[in-house]
Amino acid sequence: MLDNIPILSLLVFSPIVGILALLFIRSENGRLLRIVGTAGTALPLLLAIWLFSGFDFGGGRQFAEQALWVHLPLPTEFVPGGVQYYLELGYSLSVDGISLALVFLTALISTMAALASFSHIKKRWKAFYIWFLVMEIGMLGVFTAQDLFLFFIFFEMTLVPLFFLIGIWGYKEREKTANKFLIYNGIGSAFMLLAFIMMITTGGFEIRETANSADYVYTSSMETIMHNMVSADSYVNSAAYAQSPFHLDEGTLVLIFFLLLLAFGIKLPIFPFHTWMLKVHTEAAPSVVMLHSGILLKIGAYGLIRFGMQFFPEQIERYALLIAVLGVINVLYGAVLALVQSDFKLVLAYSSISHMGIVLLGIASLSEIGVKGAIFQMVSHGFISALMFLLVGSFYERTETTALEKLGGLAKSMPFMSSILLTAGLALLGLPGLSGFISEFLVFVGLFDTRPVLTVLGVLGLILASAYVLRSVLRITYGSMDARFAEVKDARLIEAIPMIILVAFIVLIGIYPAVLSETIGTAVTDIINGIGG
Amino acid sequence: MEAVYAQYAWLVPLFPLIAFLVLLAIGRTANRSGPVIGVIATLASFVMALLVLFEQTAEGGMAYVWNDLEWIRAGDFVLAMGYEVNPLNALMLVIVTFVSLLVNLYSMGYMKDDPRITVFFSYVALFTFSMLALVISENIVQLYIFWELVGVCSFLLIGFWYTKPEAKAAAKKAFIVTRIGDVGLFIGILLLVWNMPGHAIDFTNIGNAFASGDISGGLATLIAILIFIGAVGKSGQFPLHTWLPDAMEGPTPISALIHAATMVAAGVYLVARTYPVFEASESAMQVVAIVGAFTAIFAALIALTQTDIKRVLAYSTVSQLGYMMLALGIGAYAAGIFHLFTHAFFKALLFLAAGSVIHVLHEQNIFKMGGLMGKMRITGWTFVIGALALAGIFPFAGFWSKDAILAEAYASHPVLFWVALITAFLTAFYMARLFFLVFTGQSRAESSEAGHAHESPLVMTLPMILLAIFSIGAGFFNIPGSDRLAAWLTREAPEHHASVLVMVLSNVFALAGILLGWLMYGKRTIPQDWLSARATWLYRLSYRKFYIDEIYDYVIVRPLRVFGYFLHLFDEFIVDGIVRLTANITLAIGRAGTRLQNGQLQTYGLVSMLGLVILAVAFVGWRFVINAG
Repeated sequence: MLDNIPILSLLVFSPIVGILALLFIRSENGRLLRIVGTAGTALPLLLAIWLFSGFDFGGGRQFAEQALWVHLPLPTEFVPGGVQYYLELGYSLSVDGISLALVFLTALISTMAALASFSHIKKRWKAFYIWFLVMEIGMLGVFTAQDLFLFFIFFEMTLVPLFFLIGIWGYKEREKTANKFLIYNGIGSAFMLLAFIMMITTGGFEIRETANSADYVYTSSMETIMHNMVSADSYVNSAAYAQSPFHLDEGTLVLIFFLLLLAFGIKLPIFPFHTWMLKVHTEAAPSVVMLHSGILLKIGAYGLIRFGMQFFPEQIERYALLIAVLGVINVLYGAVLALVQSDFKLVLAYSSISHMGIVLLGIASLSEIGVKGAIFQMVSHGFISALMFLLVGSFYERTETTALEKLGGLAKSMPFMSSILLTAGLALLGLPGLSGFISEFLVFVGLFDTRPVLTVLGVLGLILASAYVLRSVLRITYGSMDARFAEVKDARLIEAIPMIILVAFIVLIGIYPAVLSETIGTAVTDIINGIGG
Repeated sequence: MEAVYAQYAWLVPLFPLIAFLVLLAIGRTANRSGPVIGVIATLASFVMALLVLFEQTAEGGMAYVWNDLEWIRAGDFVLAMGYEVNPLNALMLVIVTFVSLLVNLYSMGYMKDDPRITVFFSYVALFTFSMLALVISENIVQLYIFWELVGVCSFLLIGFWYTKPEAKAAAKKAFIVTRIGDVGLFIGILLLVWNMPGHAIDFTNIGNAFASGDISGGLATLIAILIFIGAVGKSGQFPLHTWLPDAMEGPTPISALIHAATMVAAGVYLVARTYPVFEASESAMQVVAIVGAFTAIFAALIALTQTDIKRVLAYSTVSQLGYMMLALGIGAYAAGIFHLFTHAFFKALLFLAAGSVIHVLHEQNIFKMGGLMGKMRITGWTFVIGALALAGIFPFAGFWSKDAILAEAYASHPVLFWVALITAFLTAFYMARLFFLVFTGQSRAESSEAGHAHESPLVMTLPMILLAIFSIGAGFFNIPGSDRLAAWLTREAPEHHASVLVMVLSNVFALAGILLGWLMYGKRTIPQDWLSARATWLYRLSYRKFYIDEIYDYVIVRPLRVFGYFLHLFDEFIVDGIVRLTANITLAIGRAGTRLQNGQLQTYGLVSMLGLVILAVAFVGWRFVINAG
């Protein structure tokens, strides 16, 4: 049934329906705008569920779609021998288990964030939801693109909308924050672009024999480039390589690898490139942070796995120790700093750094268990941080502060939200039965065999995590309550629904991890086989 | 004989889980029916547990294992969940469900006026589920999962009265301190995963691997010690004992259920469950025995001077858990479990009786009590029975189990024997002190409520009476000469270390303790401050719990916080400072650029330019590095 329908294109571009609908609504009609905007995120979610149901867990990349997009003849005067060279940029989408999991995460969290925005965003709904939906296209595209150029475009499509989402709907220092975000991420994407160009010019060079002539092509197809780069030895000896003006030597490979590490490391973020995201966490509107922390940070991790591990199996093996050390630094640095923050949003921001360190550790393990753990961590942390910032938004709306010393005893007036906050906190500190435990368990098991000392250091982060989570969560909910908060109402239905859904997924993965592990299973096996271990 | 009920052992934890979910769903609307749901579910569990236990005790009862639920798979590592029934955990199922049932009943009275009574019963149900699931876990990861869950339930219940700052602090402390131990256990599990053949981490395989010597030497010692660290945290052994006395901030029925009879015994259970690991390492056994013995006497010394009725009992719990660890450490496996068994009854009883007093007086300071025997006869008498059992007086339950431990220690570790014997003396003394201060003499209460103190309702006294019966009788399951419990648990004929000398000695020491307590606090022929006035520092040392909390505060908590603030400054001024500096410089360059072009440059364009500059620098720099290298 799914064979003839370009379901991935439909899915990725489905937010356009919402955008078009929004364009025809007058901007004064706030309620309708919010309803339509939220409904606009439901379409990709439904398609994602459909995609999920049609996915064959047996393996491989599926639902592939391919079209030649740009076929550009390059100016001949630079080329020796006067041969015609072409630049070929393809439109190519497909999903494997990892992509599928992240597409589903994106679609779900987008809907949750749209629901959260329903009550938490107070102005200019038309523009807000349009940027929101544009960004969703970008996020869905990033996880499905099979072409470097396409990936880059989708990646940029997440940056610009987020710039406006932060800059217009954020708190006091929103504009400064938006600028900082853009500069930092702009630098990151510049590194990425450079790396991609180098990959296209080296690994992407192909000679296509046709009936009467040969085409010399630079392609941005990820499949081709990956194949050529992974089997660099045979590629170097091939006929195509002899004609290529750019050379794929060891130094170039390492350079590209580090450019990508930097580009995605900024996104993840890896210490010391994390300060931009602190600002985003505190200054952007909470429902925007749901997307940022829940999905966009995962693009960094996704990039490291997709490009770092799949394109550079040798390099990732050689620099695994470096990545593991960076991971441990992230875990501990983030956790210690989370322990002394006075603003709850900063606690969460530093805890994100700590948790993304676990992803690095999983990648550095180079083992099937560890990489699975890293992906579990991406999905699990996506749900947990989205839930956390949903709560932050709801609490802030009622208390108008997230400063820990001004809060306290909210469990009395808001028992429902407080219990959800406690659940989210327990998930964050890795309580078994909730999703966070599975990822940490898998990562530490995976890493322990090769790097026991670093693993033990990372495990110490678990103690710190329980300390900073309980310190801040109990500070908010337990203790005596400020009289100002006595009359505050508990969650509205439109807030309670996304909270319950997110908790349900956190619990589901926690008690029955096979749902996720079966989905990503073969994709991870393929990656590990590529590394050869 | 085919195991029939054992196949349905999963029902035992299922009932409380259902109760929890139901209570969660109906919420506070059901303050009346909530407790009933909790009681019925626990009763169902208890009946099921009894059936399982009887089947296990019957002639030729077989252990039963089921582990077909594949939970996660990654490469060649497959983790399957399941459950196991054997004598040890069948016994534990009955202890847990029995105490939980009585505590549920008791709470119907104790928590009657609390507006969050349904929440309370849902937490208790969740705890009971987690503890039962822990007990029947078939592999060590599964055990760890429920191990953490009971920790969370304990945390929730300690902090049940969340508006009290002390309750909040105690809950947090309980969670974090036990988590330190859990991390040890976690690392132990990692070692097991990688060293067990085929990554098989179910208890049967672990037992076989260690018993057959596949894993031995330093590795076995390391794994055993790491597992023991987990047990130290959960069972409040030195040096991770500090959370347990603070946990008394929770409602008293919880102190009885979790912090005396069941959860804190989970550490002892863990060591017993992984006993082959410990047996594979002589030095690990030594560590367990010494930590246990030290904790026993250390906690007893603190209990001597505490003034809060529940804290005295809490330290006595720490002390008695030390006894159990001591027993396991010297190889007296059955004696340790036996003491766990009897202790569950009399310690739950003591807490429930203390709760009955607190319920009536709204007071926990024993120096503001007194003369309650006449007004609360059932509470008073059951407390006496519990105290005598704890003190180890013949023929109460505690005597038999304590004697079993002492006899084993006497035969193998004379030094530890004397430590344990002195602890028995101290135990008898502080229990006598507690009893005489609370129940005899004149009332020293400040409030008027003490004037019309009365007995608690039947729903509270009935559980106490039942527990009193077991506190008297539970010892006869395993009296020397017919060590049925030992024979059944280990499935082999026990060695006999029974010694009349030890029995006499332990009774003499215990009676001496009671006598001294009576002379000081009952008859008052010896002034109460006889020792504390002469050796103030000794008294203060005990009263301030050997300053362990303060030491941790100054050695760990504060330095960590200072380090955190230092890092905070580092992050803000150095890491982000460099970023800001770079940004400012580039902005300045950008401004120069805009002036040159005599127009406004969009930020986005600026960024791309900036990016290109950096790229060029990076590219050239890299080439330079490559060539130079």
